[in-house]
Amino acid sequence: MNKRILPIVAVAAAGMLALTACSSADTVSGSQGTELEGLTGDIGAKDFSEQFILAHITSQLLNAHGADTEANTKLVGSANVRQALENDEFIGYWEYTGTSWITYNGNTGPVQGTEAQFEATKDADAANGIAWLNPAPLNNTYAFAIRAEKAKELGVKTLSDIAALPMSEQTFCIESEFSTRDDGWPGLKAAYGLDIPDSNVALLDTGVIYTATQKGDDCNFGEVFQTDGRIPALDLVVMEDDAQFFPAYQGAFTLSQATLDEYPEIAEIIDLISPLLTTEQMQKLNALVDVEGEDPEDVATDWLTEQGLI
Amino acid sequence: MTIITETQVLATVSATDVSSIRDRFWTWKRFVTPLIVVVVLGGLLAWVSSLQLDSIEARTLNWPYIVLRVKEHLLLAVSASALVAVLAIPIGTLLAKTKSKVLKGVVLTLANIGQATPAVGVVILLAIIWQTGFTTALTALVIYAFLPVLRNTMIGIQQVDASVRESARGMGMTPLQVLFRIELPLAVPVILAGLRTALVFAVGVATIATFINAGGLGDMIVNGLKLQRYPVLAVGAVLVACIALLIDWVASLAEDFLTPRGV
Repeated sequence: MNKRILPIVAVAAAGMLALTACSSADTVSGSQGTELEGLTGDIGAKDFSEQFILAHITSQLLNAHGADTEANTKLVGSANVRQALENDEFIGYWEYTGTSWITYNGNTGPVQGTEAQFEATKDADAANGIAWLNPAPLNNTYAFAIRAEKAKELGVKTLSDIAALPMSEQTFCIESEFSTRDDGWPGLKAAYGLDIPDSNVALLDTGVIYTATQKGDDCNFGEVFQTDGRIPALDLVVMEDDAQFFPAYQGAFTLSQATLDEYPEIAEIIDLISPLLTTEQMQKLNALVDVEGEDPEDVATDWLTEQGLI
Repeated sequence: MTIITETQVLATVSATDVSSIRDRFWTWKRFVTPLIVVVVLGGLLAWVSSLQLDSIEARTLNWPYIVLRVKEHLLLAVSASALVAVLAIPIGTLLAKTKSKVLKGVVLTLANIGQATPAVGVVILLAIIWQTGFTTALTALVIYAFLPVLRNTMIGIQQVDASVRESARGMGMTPLQVLFRIELPLAVPVILAGLRTALVFAVGVATIATFINAGGLGDMIVNGLKLQRYPVLAVGAVLVACIALLIDWVASLAEDFLTPRGV
C-alpha cells in the first residue's frame, strides 16, 4: 500500500509546490546583453508544470538580455491563457501547434506531418495577429500508457497490439475533452480498428488518469501527455503510436505580432533555447518538478545556467 | 449558514401560515417556473438547431448523448438527496433531543466542514485514495448537501413551542409519542425547506462527477470549455440550471402538499 501511496503523495506535493511557485523577478538583469531594454510584462503559462518551467526559462532568458519580465503562472486553462495573450495581458507564452489549430482556430482534423502542422498553424494565427517563433523539437502529443508489468504480461508494445487483446483487457481512461475530438477517441478507434464499447471507457480528469492507470482498476490504458514526468515516475510505459495517428503538438513561443515588430531580437534569443527543448529533455525537467518536487523557477534557473545561457 | 437556514425557516413558516394557500393551490403563479424553463429550453433548441455543428460538437449535441447525461445527472442528484434525507433527518432529530453539547458540536462541525470544503477537492481526493465512479460521486454529494437538512431538522424540532410540548406531555403522551405525533409533524415544513436546499445544491454540484467517470452534464460543460465549443458548454450549463429550477419547483409542490394542515 505504501508503495502505491508514495508516488501519489509525491505528485500531490509537487502540485502544491507548483501552485505556490508564483511569479517573482529573477536573475541578474542584462547579464547577456541589453537588446531587449524596455520590454516589460508577464510571460504566460497554462496550468501544468511543463508550462511553468517554460515560462520561467523564457522570462529569465529574456531578462538576461535586458528585458524586465515575470513568469505569470496564475491562469487556468489553455483558452484563458490564449485570451490573455490576445488581450495583450502577456508578452507571450509557449503554445502547442495542435492546440491552436484545433481549439482556437476551430479545425476538426489535424494536418499530417509535424512541419506541415506548424506551418499551417503559423499561417492561421498570423491572421489573428499572433506570431509563432521557430518551434522546439518537443512534441507534447497524446499517448496511451500502461503499467510496465501489465504491458509485459499482455505483451503489448504498440497501439496496434491492443486490438488483438481480449475485450476485457481493452479498457481505457480518457478525458472528456479527448472523447469527442477527431484527433482523439473517435479517430483513434477508427485508425487502429478498435471496436470498444463505452462501458470499457472511463471518463476522468487528467490528473486522476495517471493514478488510475497506475492502479489499473478502471483501465489498463490511460491517456497521457508524452512529455509528462509522471510517466517514468509511476513506472508506466507508453504504447508506440505505430500508425502515427496522433497529431503533432509541437511547442513554440507565441507572441503578438506587434510585440515582435517592436522587439525583433526576441526571435533570435528564443532560438537559443528552442532547439535544446526535446521531448526527452522536457520529460526530465518535468520530472524534477512533478516527481522530485522541485520549484519550476529553480529548475529553469539551473537548466539555463547549465546551458550557459544566463 | 445559521442565518440562512433561519431565514428559510421564517419564510417557510410564514408562507404556510396562510392557510388559504391550500384553497388557491393551482394559481397562475405556480406555473411561472415551468413556463420560464420551457421558454428557455425552446430558445436553446432553436438556437442550437440554427447552428452548423462541426464534428466535435455533433458528438455531444445529439439527443441520445444529452438524454443519457441528463439521466445520469438526475440519478446522482436525486439519490444523493434521498440519502441525505435518510441520514440527516434521524441524526438531526437525535441531535435536537440530545443533551450532550459535545456530540452536537462534533456533528455540526463535521457537517460544516463537509459543506465548506470544495466539492471538487473532495471528489478528486476520494477518487485517488478510494475509487472512481458513481458511488464516489454520490458520497461526495452527500457530504456536501448534508448540512442544510441536518440544521433544519434540528431547528424545526427545537422551534416547537414549549407550551405545545408541555400540553402533549400533560395529555399523557410518552416522549416518543410527543416526538412522532407533535414535534416531527410540526417540523415538516422546516425540514422540507432544508431538503429543497439540498436538492438544488446536489443538482449544481453533480457537475463535478465528470472528473471521476460518473457522467452527468458536467461532461458537456467541461468538454465545451476545454475545446472552446461554446454551444456545447451553453447547452450543458443551461440544462443544469433548468433542472435545478424544475426540481426546486417540484419540491415546492411537495412541500405544500406534505405540510400538515393547520401548520
